Amino acid sequence: MKIAVSAEGPDADARVGDRFGTSQYLVIVDLDSGDFEAVPNPGASGQRGAGMQAVVLVISRDVGAVLTGYCSPVVRSHLAASGIEVLTGLSGTVAEVVESYSKGNLRESVGAETGQESGRGMSRRVALVQALRRSANQFGTLLPILVGVVLLIGLFNVFVSQELLTSVFSGEPVLDTLWGACFGSILAGNPINSYVIGAELLNLGVSLFAVTAFIITWVTVGLVALPAEMAALGRKFAIVRNILCLVLALPITILTVVVVNLVGR
Amino acid sequence: MNGEEPQKRNGARPVIRMLIFPASVLVLYGILFVVMPDKTLSAVKSSGNVLFSIIGVLALVFIAMVVFNLFVKPGQVARFLGAGSGAKGITLSAVAGIISMGPIYAWYPLLRELKQKGAGNAPIAVFLYNRAIKLPLLPIMIAYFGWVYVVILSALTVLGSIATGYAMGVLLKDGRDLKA
Repeated sequence: MKIAVSAEGPDADARVGDRFGTSQYLVIVDLDSGDFEAVPNPGASGQRGAGMQAVVLVISRDVGAVLTGYCSPVVRSHLAASGIEVLTGLSGTVAEVVESYSKGNLRESVGAETGQESGRGMSRRVALVQALRRSANQFGTLLPILVGVVLLIGLFNVFVSQELLTSVFSGEPVLDTLWGACFGSILAGNPINSYVIGAELLNLGVSLFAVTAFIITWVTVGLVALPAEMAALGRKFAIVRNILCLVLALPITILTVVVVNLVGR
Repeated sequence: MNGEEPQKRNGARPVIRMLIFPASVLVLYGILFVVMPDKTLSAVKSSGNVLFSIIGVLALVFIAMVVFNLFVKPGQVARFLGAGSGAKGITLSAVAGIISMGPIYAWYPLLRELKQKGAGNAPIAVFLYNRAIKLPLLPIMIAYFGWVYVVILSALTVLGSIATGYAMGVLLKDGRDLKA
């Protein structure tokens, strides 16, 4: 298991950094092999998003625990969500805190906040409790939107006439697929909402072509998320990928429905 | 504001944001109730029926989430994604997409980091496409559409992701489109 210690210098005698996101170095120690690596902290400049840069670094290094002086609640929540244990309130040298951690002394002396997995020594029971807690958080985040969608479906069922629906979704496979793909590309969010909406549309007589295209594009094409995708991965990447996914949704939809009809639902 | 600065209100903001949509729908219900009370009550009943029909499956979804959180570590996803653009890398990217959880926005910083370190366009595109397959949500999908449909759609989604990855690899040259 690897641990990351925020440090003011690149060696084991350096003081533990006061802040995880902006300390000069992150010293990564592999407790199993004893390997030691001092990585300049990408957030050391203290600019906006410094904490997140440090979070990305430790996630990409597959670190199991972070030892530091202070860690903001936001950064702590990102680390915990990634299954990384966070121990704060530490001082002394890097070597001292690593030794204390490896002996199992730290959790008793400082406030340990753990994510999905603390790694060494964690009992299955604790892991289960944390998995339950994390699942409850994930479930809690999808529930409000899902309730909103269900409430909207109620309105839709009562206020949208069958005639209006059939005027949009005529039953013609290609047109229905295109319409479904258009709606799915515009809307976004947890896929569970696309299943609930899709199932209700099926109940209202909308074709499986439209519903399938809707479900596929709900996740694969994201007009709402396009600015964020462009910022993260580049304008060209985001635009080409979204167009490709939209185009590809058409043959996948038609193939899916044809095969399902052949096999029998 | 620096990401490391204590932000007292940050815990509340996402909660408020999450509640905006359902609260807006409730306001819409309130307005419609004043105008057309009978029809609005029918809509409430219809929503109740939909909710009632999915409660059991939602319990299954929750159990699937717990199992998933117990055995899948986000670190694994990052490792799989960094496995390169070869056949093995594409396969592992597909697996990473399938087992990844949470909103896509949470993954963008990691994807950007990997891309800046030289990860190809193809594995990232494959990862993003395979996020359409959500293992913990399969129970609700099967309940609605049947397992035959779910199996066929999932298989074609994986094939579609590989096609997308291949096309991205051909159309884009790695690393040239990233605006740092």
